[in-house]
Amino acid sequence: MRIFNRIIVILLLAGIVALGVTTVFYIFDVSDYHLEDLSRTLGLNGLYDGVNGFVQRAENRNLDVLDIVVLALVALLGLVLLILELKPPSPRRVRMQKGTYVTRKAVEDEVNTAVEESHEVLQSNVKVKAQRRPGAIVNVTASVRPGENARSIEADVRDRVKRRLDQVGIPVGTINVQVRESDPRQTRTRVK
Amino acid sequence: MADDLQTARAVQDAALATEGVASLGTGRWAEAATYGARDKVTGVVVSPNEVRVHIVVNYPPPEPLPALAERVRERVTSKVGGRPTIVVVEDIEVVQDENL
Repeated sequence: MRIFNRIIVILLLAGIVALGVTTVFYIFDVSDYHLEDLSRTLGLNGLYDGVNGFVQRAENRNLDVLDIVVLALVALLGLVLLILELKPPSPRRVRMQKGTYVTRKAVEDEVNTAVEESHEVLQSNVKVKAQRRPGAIVNVTASVRPGENARSIEADVRDRVKRRLDQVGIPVGTINVQVRESDPRQTRTRVK
Repeated sequence: MADDLQTARAVQDAALATEGVASLGTGRWAEAATYGARDKVTGVVVSPNEVRVHIVVNYPPPEPLPALAERVRERVTSKVGGRPTIVVVEDIEVVQDENL
């Protein structure tokens, strides 16, 4: 279950528990609580009136623009949450063959080593995603000095990463390389 | 429970005896281990549905990782009583040169 949906469900369940406990108090008239007072105590009378009015306006097709926008947004939010819930989670590990996996961290370490071998790269940031099919999607952001030839560095980094992963035998789906100019004073390495 | 520990130990021995395997991994977010009374085997997770082995591989590996992992899986399969086996390469470790 996605974290946002989990929070919503937890809040909903907590509300149901609280309502259940309160209702039990009122049903059994515990310490002067009476069931007929429950709706007034919970402030439901105003809510009933509001819902009644809303339903009547909807039946008369008399909803204002704000109501329609809010309803549309609620429906859209519900749809997004439903899709997120139904979507299978992305795999945690990179599949090599049937029953054999390599962790994303291990792939990241290999890619990092390959990228930082390049003399032009001062710092790199590597993100690896596992695909459902064998192979990984590798996203590399390489920081270089201003004025460097970004296109040749990009090709060089891609080539190094591909060679290193081929050498180790890790299957790769896509390698995305982004070269970013950075101030050497703000990168991990200033000079190579 | 005791059977699980015995299975885990047999799997651990088989995996460590494979050329190219430096050690067994410990898991990243949760510990990868099989637990018993006052004992545990790290790097092997034995459950009723599957057996998972976490390995740390030497760099450079003697063969490509998929082939190495497959070899570990083949060696381990005979020890797990027909359960599906999963091999996870958790890390790649540079071999220290003893002459340095």
